[in-house]
Amino acid sequence: MRKPIKKIYEKDRMTAEERLQMVVGLGQPDRVPLSMMLYNYAPFHTGIKASDYVTKPDVYMQAMRKVYEDLGPWDIYYNINPVSRLIDSFVLMMKLLYPGDELPDDVMTQIDEYEYMKPEDYDEILKMSFYFADTVFRAKMITRFCKEAKGAGSLRIWPKLGWGLLRQKMFWSRDWRWFRERGLVVQMGYQAEMPFDVFSMARAVVPFSMDLFQRPDIIRRAALRLAPSFAESAILFARIMGAPRVQCYMHRTSNSFISPRHFEQLVFPGVEEIVCRIIDAGMTPLLHCDGDWTKNFKVLRRLPAKKIILELDGLTDIFRAKEEIGDVMCLFGDVPAEKLVMGSPQEVDEYCHRLIEEVGKGGGFILAAGCEIPYNAKPENLKAMVKAVCKYGYY
Amino acid sequence: METEKEVGMKGFRDAFQAFQIDSIEKEVDKILSSGVAPQEILNECQKRMEEIGTKFEAGEYFLPELVMAGEIFKKVNAKIKPLMTSGRKEAIGKIVLGTPKGDLHNLGKDIFGILAEASGFDIYDLGVDVPPEAFIRKLEETGAPILGISVLLTSAFSSLQEIVRLLEEKGMRDRVSIIVGGGVTTRDMIGRFKIDAQTRDAYEGVRIAQSFIIHREEA
Repeated sequence: MRKPIKKIYEKDRMTAEERLQMVVGLGQPDRVPLSMMLYNYAPFHTGIKASDYVTKPDVYMQAMRKVYEDLGPWDIYYNINPVSRLIDSFVLMMKLLYPGDELPDDVMTQIDEYEYMKPEDYDEILKMSFYFADTVFRAKMITRFCKEAKGAGSLRIWPKLGWGLLRQKMFWSRDWRWFRERGLVVQMGYQAEMPFDVFSMARAVVPFSMDLFQRPDIIRRAALRLAPSFAESAILFARIMGAPRVQCYMHRTSNSFISPRHFEQLVFPGVEEIVCRIIDAGMTPLLHCDGDWTKNFKVLRRLPAKKIILELDGLTDIFRAKEEIGDVMCLFGDVPAEKLVMGSPQEVDEYCHRLIEEVGKGGGFILAAGCEIPYNAKPENLKAMVKAVCKYGYY
Repeated sequence: METEKEVGMKGFRDAFQAFQIDSIEKEVDKILSSGVAPQEILNECQKRMEEIGTKFEAGEYFLPELVMAGEIFKKVNAKIKPLMTSGRKEAIGKIVLGTPKGDLHNLGKDIFGILAEASGFDIYDLGVDVPPEAFIRKLEETGAPILGISVLLTSAFSSLQEIVRLLEEKGMRDRVSIIVGGGVTTRDMIGRFKIDAQTRDAYEGVRIAQSFIIHREEA
């Protein structure tokens, strides 16, 4: 793996990579690391059309670099740059509405949730081989909701996916080099929606709620059937891409959606399988946990300690998370979107200060926004986040 | 000994509480044929919804239970509404509801709408990506004292500001209470956006709407 060659600040005693490794292991680094999840924000900061940004890789690359030059530095490059719409849909398994296509030129991608998976698809999953189940399932489903895959059929979809991945690899190699030369570490080599969350979105809220009451066991078994293949694909792609971290999206697993009982019985076995395989491969899972996860902490504590990053979005009380699971996972977050859009730099500074003092105490913490930084965040508020790690972040 | 009506109501109640959506219409047919009035069925539905809401607030129930209860309520309501030619209880209040321009999400809005309807409100749901002017027009047309706005993306913030500005400009702000809900909302928004209430919990939203009505009646 290529090592960053440069320190971020003069005062730093570690590289970004060393700092990240230290906090994942719950150690105390030289300073709190910072990740800025700017995918939605960058085109608006730079004044370019969102429709160009999401479809033209070079436009994306220029926008992201400009934002870094205007607002940086930070430690972790959040690399959400889907070169191929097909691959974007394949990993997220959501019908995405794109600017310049289904949406006006000047708004960012949104999700159109509808029922594209049928109850009998759970049964089909159970007939699939453990080794390829997740990949085959995704390839089958994607033809039902992604424009680029529609009508592709079971044979024609594979070369399309292969070509998409190759383009992604070639683009990322070019894109990451610039950030790595500036000392940054790349956040992830692969990202995907976890199996249970895919079911929740693919079935849509009402039918999936019915499934939870009428056929809970098949959900658990289907999610578990997809888990090994999910993990192995993630490991393979992260290796090919060249960043040993896998971002696992769990948009629908929090207590804002399901009960802790359902989490423990239906979701956790699959999550554990995936997370342990990724760790065994020498990689770091980043659990992207939207919603309120407070009641799931007790079960999450069963996952291997000092190996995982837990990304919280502001709906979970991160200060409580520090007390209840901060000795098991590295916490990542969580400046609220509302504060970044409507608050003042002073408010952002105060909140970051509190995060660093309380959640960052003793290490095991990465400062970031709660989920994506909104497109309409004030640049002065983002600058306040960047400055906060310098002002308060050194141990 | 239990009467046919009592047995039927018990069957209906049990099916509702067990979220047996597939058999609920059959249960409604049974109790209707035993002579139970549609209004009584609606009252029973409201009691069940209230009970489910209490369990949700206590952390015993989660979103799937609310969704199922809402779907059951919708099915029952659709079946008995045409039969309620007279004697329907007057609504406790009117709510204009929608997701503002810039945001296409409807889940939170829909759940709130169903819970509020089950609690006796008349709901005027404008859907998603609603322009500020459309909210104002509907408030004028219905005279609704409550505006419910669901927000999942910060892209809807500017629409929200515009809605408040238009209400002030038209001199309607004092007669309309605004409640904003959704994952991206925070308590800080009450002061920042000059709204009346904020919640991330659909059931709490209904309680707040009820309190708005009580305050207006007392005033």
